[in-house]
Amino acid sequence: MTTRRRLLTGTATLAGVSMVAPLMLSPVNAHATFGDYKALVCVFLFGGNDGWNMLVPRSEAEHTVYANSRQNMAIDRDDLIPITPNTTDGSEYGLHPSLIGIQGLFDAGAAAFTANVGPLIEPTTLEQYQNKSVQRPPQLFSHNDQQSQWHTLKGAAPSATGWAGRLADLLAAQTTTQMIPSTSSLFGSTTFLVGASTQPYVMGPGGPLAFSGFADTGIGLEQRLAFERIVAARQANIYGRGYAAIQQRALDNADLINTTLANAPVLSTTFANDVLSQQLQTVARLIAVRDDLQMERQVFFVALGGFDTHDDQVMLQPGLLANIDAAMTSFYDATVELNVADRVTTFTQSDFGRTLTSNGDGTDHAWGSVALTVGGGVAGRDIYGAYPLLDIGGNYDVGGGRLIPTTSADQYAATLAQWMDPTLADLETVAPNIGNFAQQNLGFMI
Amino acid sequence: MDVNRMLCTAMACLLLMASGCGGGGSSSSPPPPPPPPPPPVVITTPEAFVFLNQATFGATLANAQRLIDLGYEGWVDEQLAQPASLKLPHLQSLPVPTQPQTLQTDRVDIWFRNVINGDDQLRQRVAFALSEIMVVSQLGALNRSPYALADYYDVLVRGAFGNYRDLLEEVTLHPAMGVYLSMLGNRKPDTANNIRPDENYAREVMQLFSIGLVQLNSDGSDQLDDGGLPIPTYDQATIEGFAHVFTGWHWADAPNGFLSARPSLENQIKPMQLYPDFHDDGVKLLLNGEMIAANQGGVADLDQALDNLFNHPNVAPFISYRLIQRLVSSNPSAAYIGRMSSVFNDNGQGERGDLGALVKAILLDPEARALTRTDTGGKLKEPLLRLTQLYRAYDAQSQSGRYPLVFAYVALGQGVLQSPSVFNFFSPFYAPPGEIQDQGLVAPELQIATEYQNTFLTNTLFDQTFVNQSENLANLGEDDVYLDIAAEVAIADDIDGLVALVADKLMAGEISPTLDAQVKQMLGRTQPTDTALRAAETIYLIASSPEYALQR
Repeated sequence: MTTRRRLLTGTATLAGVSMVAPLMLSPVNAHATFGDYKALVCVFLFGGNDGWNMLVPRSEAEHTVYANSRQNMAIDRDDLIPITPNTTDGSEYGLHPSLIGIQGLFDAGAAAFTANVGPLIEPTTLEQYQNKSVQRPPQLFSHNDQQSQWHTLKGAAPSATGWAGRLADLLAAQTTTQMIPSTSSLFGSTTFLVGASTQPYVMGPGGPLAFSGFADTGIGLEQRLAFERIVAARQANIYGRGYAAIQQRALDNADLINTTLANAPVLSTTFANDVLSQQLQTVARLIAVRDDLQMERQVFFVALGGFDTHDDQVMLQPGLLANIDAAMTSFYDATVELNVADRVTTFTQSDFGRTLTSNGDGTDHAWGSVALTVGGGVAGRDIYGAYPLLDIGGNYDVGGGRLIPTTSADQYAATLAQWMDPTLADLETVAPNIGNFAQQNLGFMI
Repeated sequence: MDVNRMLCTAMACLLLMASGCGGGGSSSSPPPPPPPPPPPVVITTPEAFVFLNQATFGATLANAQRLIDLGYEGWVDEQLAQPASLKLPHLQSLPVPTQPQTLQTDRVDIWFRNVINGDDQLRQRVAFALSEIMVVSQLGALNRSPYALADYYDVLVRGAFGNYRDLLEEVTLHPAMGVYLSMLGNRKPDTANNIRPDENYAREVMQLFSIGLVQLNSDGSDQLDDGGLPIPTYDQATIEGFAHVFTGWHWADAPNGFLSARPSLENQIKPMQLYPDFHDDGVKLLLNGEMIAANQGGVADLDQALDNLFNHPNVAPFISYRLIQRLVSSNPSAAYIGRMSSVFNDNGQGERGDLGALVKAILLDPEARALTRTDTGGKLKEPLLRLTQLYRAYDAQSQSGRYPLVFAYVALGQGVLQSPSVFNFFSPFYAPPGEIQDQGLVAPELQIATEYQNTFLTNTLFDQTFVNQSENLANLGEDDVYLDIAAEVAIADDIDGLVALVADKLMAGEISPTLDAQVKQMLGRTQPTDTALRAAETIYLIASSPEYALQR
C-alpha cells in the first residue's frame, strides 16, 4: 500500500504497529500468523453502570433482600425479565426490563454475565479490607482512577499502558501483515489500547475523517503534498512533535481505511441512530473489510456516557440500558450476518458499580458490579463469578452497600485474552495481578 | 473576604515569621543595600506575542504594540482594572423563547463576542481557565438552563481576579453547579429507607476544584509515605461528612418549601437556598480531622466546611498548577509552582487566595517570560484558542454581528461550558505515549488531539480560510463567521510578501524556515491571478501547521 504520495514525501510508513513489530520478532516465528480472525470490542459505560439493576435476584427471598436494600432504586420483581441460566446457584435471576434483546441472546447462549466483578489486587475479604491487610486499588470510588484500573489493571503502579494494548504487544509477532494498528478507538484517546509498542488509532464514531481539500490531481494534490511535508518536518518542541505525530498517523490511516470501507458490503442489519449504535455499526463495517486490511487480531474501543446516575436514576437508567441493549443486539446480528459471530466478542467495562443504598433519587460510587459479554464465542446462558446477597452490612459491604468484588477485573481480562490467543503464555503482562487468583480463566469463553 | 479567613491568614503569617521563614521579621543584621533599578525592559514583538497568547484569546499586532508601550506589569495592571464583559445581560435582553435551549446559541455567541472583541482579555482568559477547573456543562440537564449557565460563567468572569474562597462559595451555591453535581435537592438521611446524602458534589469539589486526591508539597510534588506511595487527602468518611454538609439546598424561593422547589427564570440565576428542615444537623467530619458541631445550622456548616477546604495546604499548589497549565506551560518547574503557591498563600498583604495576584505572578514570573526556548517549554494550544487566535488576527465577524457557533465543539473537541464531564476536556495529568511520557512529562491538550479530532479541527481551519472569508462574502449567510483576508489578497501576487504578512499576523514573523519554504513552494504552483486562493492557502497551511498548534 505504498502510494505515490508516500514515496514522494519520504514518509513511507504504514501503521506504526506493523512497522515496529517486525523488529521484535524472534527468527523462529517471523512468518507465523494466526491464519484466522478474532476481535474484542470493549463497550465502556462511562460514569459507573449500576449493574445490580441490570442483573437482579428474582427468587423471592433474595429479591426481598435486594428490595429492602435498594428501596426506591429497586426494580419490582414482576417487572424483571426471567432468565434460566444453564447452571444455578440456587437463586433465580432476572434482567432489567430494558434488556429484551440481551435476554434473547442470553437464551440463545450468546451472552453471559460476570457477577460482582471489579478491580482487585488480590482476593479481599471485608475483614482484610477493614484492617488493611491486603493491597487494594488506589482511590477506590473515584471515576478517573477506577476507569484507569479497568483500563490498565496496574494497581498503584504507573499506568502508561492498558491491558488491551499489552495484549496487542504480545500478539504483534503474529500480526505483522496488519495494515492498520491493531487497536482502534471510536471514542477518543484511551490508555486501554496503548501498549509498550502498540499505538492505537483513533477514528470518529462513523470512521476516519478525511482531510478536506486533498485530491490526487491538480491543486488538491499540491496542497496535500505541502501539508504532508509540513507535518513530516522535524518540530523544535516536544508538544509540536506530539501533535505532528498524530497528524502523521491520521494521514497514514484515514485514506487507507476510508478507501477500503468504500468497498465494504452494505450490511442489511439495521442500527439505531444513537452514538453507541453508530460506533458499533462502524466497527461492524471495519470487521467486514478485515481481509482487505489483512487484519487477524483487533481490539476496538467504543463507549457510552451518562451512567453516573446520582440523580434521577429511576428515570434515566431504563433509557441507558435500552441503548446498550439495542446497540449490542444489533452488533451481534451484524456479526452473524458477516459470518463472524464466533470470532467477535463484545464485553462491557465501567468505572465501578453503584451503592445499594439510595441518595434519595440516585446512587453513588461503589466498587463491584456486573459485566456483560456477548458473542458466538461466549459460553453463554450463564452467570460467572458469585452473585452476592445484596444486603446492607453484608459480607462484602464496605459501607452504604458498596460491595467488594469477588471476581477481579484481572480474571475477566485474562479470560478474554486467552480467547484471543489460547496459547498465550504471558498472562501476567496482560493482567499483572492474575497470579494472585486461583482461577485464571473464568470459563465464559469457549 | 470573611473574617475567619483574615484571622487564619494572619495566624499563618505569624507562624511563618516565628519559624524564620517569613520575609518581614525584624533582624539584628543591617539591611542589605537596595538592589540597583532594573534596566528598562524592551519588549520585542515576538516576545509580546508569546505573552499575549498566554494572557489573551490571541495576540494581535495592535495588542502587541499596547503591551510594548505599557510593559508587562503595566499591561497586567491595566487589565486587572478592566470592567468585566458579561453574558447574562445579553441573554436577558433577548425575548424569552418557548424552547429555552435555543438560547444556548446566544450564550456561545456572547462568549465569542466578548473574547474576540472585548477589552477585558485577561479576565476572560482566566475565566475560561477557571471554567475548565470548576466545570459545569451544557451537555446534559443544563441544556435546559441557558440563563443559569450564562450566570455561572459570569460568576467566573467577575471572580477571576477576586478571592478563591469567595469563588468557591459562589460556585458551590450556584444552581448550575447544584444541577450538574446534584447538590441541588440533596437532603438529610432517611435511615429507615436506606437513603443517605448524595456524595457527588462532596467528592468532586475536593478532587477537582480544590485539593485533589493526594497530599501535595507547596511545589506541587506529591508527599509520599514511608512506602513511597502518595498520601490520600481524604477518605470515604470525609466524603460522607461533606455530603452531609451539602444537604438542604434547593432552588430558591420555593412557595411551599423544599419539596415544592422548581426552576424558574428568576431562581436559576440566584444562589441555592437553604431549607433547614432538610439539612442534616448532626456532627460531621471534615478534612484533617476537623469536626462540625451539631445544630450549627446549614449556613454555618457550609461556611465552616468551605473554610476547612480553603485552608487546606493543597489548595495553593493545586490551583497554581492548573492555572499555569491553562495559561503558560504544561510542565512548570517545581520552583515556579512553589513561587505561585507562596503568592496564593499570601498576596503580600496578608490575604490568602487572591486570584488576581496569582494570575499576575504567573504571567510575570521569570519562567513564563524566559527568552530561551526549551524543548519542553510551553504547551499545545487548546483547540478553541487556536480558533479564537485566528479570529482575532483576522478580525473575524459575521454580517449579523453574531457568532452562533454552538456546535463548534463537535469539530474542535472543545467549547465553552461544553465539557463531556466534570473531568474537563482533558486531564492535567495526561501523558501521551512516546517521548512525552518517556520523559515523565504531561501534555493535557494532547488528550483531545486525536487523529480524528485533529483532522476535524484541520478541516474547520480549511473551511474557515477557503470558504468563510471576505472574498467569498457574496456566498455566505448572515450568521457565517468569516475572516477578513483583504490585505492578503491585495498583495497575493508577491509570494514573499504574502507569506511574511501572514506570518507576522499569526506568529510575529517567527515562522520556521521549513514552513516558510513549503508554503512558498505551494504558492509557486498557483497563478499570480489566483489571489484569493493564494491568500487562503497561506493562512490555511500556517494555521494548520504543528508549529502554530504550539503555544510557546
